[in-house]
Amino acid sequence: MAGLELKSLHKSYGAVEVIKGVDLTVKQGEFVVFVGPSGCGKSTLLRMIAGLEDITSGELWIGDVLCNQVEPRDRGIAMVFQSYALYPHMTVYDNVGFGLKLAKTPKDVRDQKIRDAARILQMEHLLDRKPSQLSGGQRQRVAIGRAIVRQPEVFLFDEPLSNLDAALRVDMRMELAKLHQDLSATMIYVTHDQVEAMTLADKIVVLNGGVVQQVGSPIELYQRPANLFVAGFIGSPKMNFTKVTIEAIGPGAVTVSSKDVASASIPATTDGLKIGDTVTLGIRPHNLALTTSGNLVGQVSLVERLGNETNVSLRLPSGESWLVVLDKDHDLKPDQTLQLTIATDGAVVFDETGNSRLPV
Amino acid sequence: MSILRRYWLTIVSILVSAVVFLVPFAFILLTALKGKQQANLLDFSWPQGIYLWENIVEVVTTRNWMLLTAFINSTILTVSSVTLLVIFAAMVGFVLQRRKTRWNGMIEFLILAGLMIPPAIVPTIVLLQGLGLFAKLHGLILIEIAYHLPFSILLYRAFIATIPRDLDEAAIIDGARPLDVFFRVIMPLLWPVTVTNIVVQSVTIFNDFTNPLYYLPGNQNATVQLTLYNFQSQFNTSYNLLFTNILLITIPPLIVFLFFNRQIVAGMTAGAVKG
Repeated sequence: MAGLELKSLHKSYGAVEVIKGVDLTVKQGEFVVFVGPSGCGKSTLLRMIAGLEDITSGELWIGDVLCNQVEPRDRGIAMVFQSYALYPHMTVYDNVGFGLKLAKTPKDVRDQKIRDAARILQMEHLLDRKPSQLSGGQRQRVAIGRAIVRQPEVFLFDEPLSNLDAALRVDMRMELAKLHQDLSATMIYVTHDQVEAMTLADKIVVLNGGVVQQVGSPIELYQRPANLFVAGFIGSPKMNFTKVTIEAIGPGAVTVSSKDVASASIPATTDGLKIGDTVTLGIRPHNLALTTSGNLVGQVSLVERLGNETNVSLRLPSGESWLVVLDKDHDLKPDQTLQLTIATDGAVVFDETGNSRLPV
Repeated sequence: MSILRRYWLTIVSILVSAVVFLVPFAFILLTALKGKQQANLLDFSWPQGIYLWENIVEVVTTRNWMLLTAFINSTILTVSSVTLLVIFAAMVGFVLQRRKTRWNGMIEFLILAGLMIPPAIVPTIVLLQGLGLFAKLHGLILIEIAYHLPFSILLYRAFIATIPRDLDEAAIIDGARPLDVFFRVIMPLLWPVTVTNIVVQSVTIFNDFTNPLYYLPGNQNATVQLTLYNFQSQFNTSYNLLFTNILLITIPPLIVFLFFNRQIVAGMTAGAVKG
């Protein structure tokens, strides 16, 4: 088992730079999730760690070994692909044992390891089948089994659950979490699904445009987003943003207002901010509550009643549209006017560079 | 009556195909059964006596059992060239499909050129003589491989495009070296195209007349198609023996075709549509 260190990793295809200097430390046994929108370079980064893509510049350390020029088979990694990539002409047994066979592992040891992996994944009864005779979830298990038998230092998962249906995805997610507990191996997991990221990760790495936006625990990312991108990407439904002007600066807080928001005092680090500056205010849909005299007024344009909560699409006076999630059921009608109050501890101020101004 | 009206076109097509495909075969068979005199009339008539066995013995023993030598030569030629063709074409197809370089356009042009440009016989013979391969069986094997490689490559490349690259990568991660990836993962998956290649190319090479004629002179080097010339000459042709010979050398390709018929069609269409 080993940790992993990425030092100023770059990747270019010709003139196009897709990974623009990634620094990252992964401790041994950590479950790290790379998350980001399509084309942000998360899969490329994973494939660079796997050795399937060359590293243009920078250093990749797995354990104590500089792995830039090391062949994939010698890196001590195993990878699970989105398409599972099972060998169609081999039985499950041979699929799982292929790597061991190539490594010329003695037959009895190989057999033992394959059966152990099959037991862990509860697929002993599938060993004689071909991949075409398996369901999606079973194929996924085989792909994971193939990774387990290699006893790698680091497991790499490239969107492993995205080909499964919703119910199965939840099951497999839990199994992966359990697997991580049982094996206590270092795992790196790529996904664009932020629920997977939030539930599985010890540490989330948010990527955008080949640049790491923020690294932290799921809750840290949710509560203390480093910038507008992370704030907008983590959390569902999405955070609401609006441009506001600074009215007053107090100790550890700024008072902001706009056409839509009547003056609200938001906790923030104030150094460098001036009265009259335009900043962005971000409020999660859950951090708005109905009142009789709030600092936000808007008209209901759409209501989704879910029983335990009510999703309201709100039209603000400036014409912007916000989403509000109200606790419990509310019988609201379209075009009804609502007064809302902002829970100030859940609101974040972003300066004009897009960085958050959360109090330390 | 209504059945006739509905199916008349089908019936006509079947009859026409039967005439076109079966009449020549029937003619070969009938002539092979006849004695020398009746065969020389070259008519489509019922044999007056069955001389098949006599004809076969005559054909096989002619010119010091030349037909046997020819069968051995042709078998070596066909088996070796097709084996090497399959391996080389699959390898070229695999690399060409998987590795994109700036040479790809050039290589594809050369492959197409190999299909389109007719071979130049005399320069090839001069080259073979220079290499000491002229009138040698292994020289002809190389010639057959070179002539048939482009078509095989095209077949393979189209099929390899349908094999997901993830499989190669999974194998690489599992610790496979490039040759392992090719022989253990890719090659088994190419089986449908390989069957097509084996059948099409072995029939072509087994039936090849011109290349052995140019590049493989000498009695000891005869291949089956060249034995046909034992029985025809400017002034005297033994049609009964000639057609017996044709009958004998038509059998091996026919067997190959009957055995692999279904897989050939599967291989020809495989890769055309993603399954």
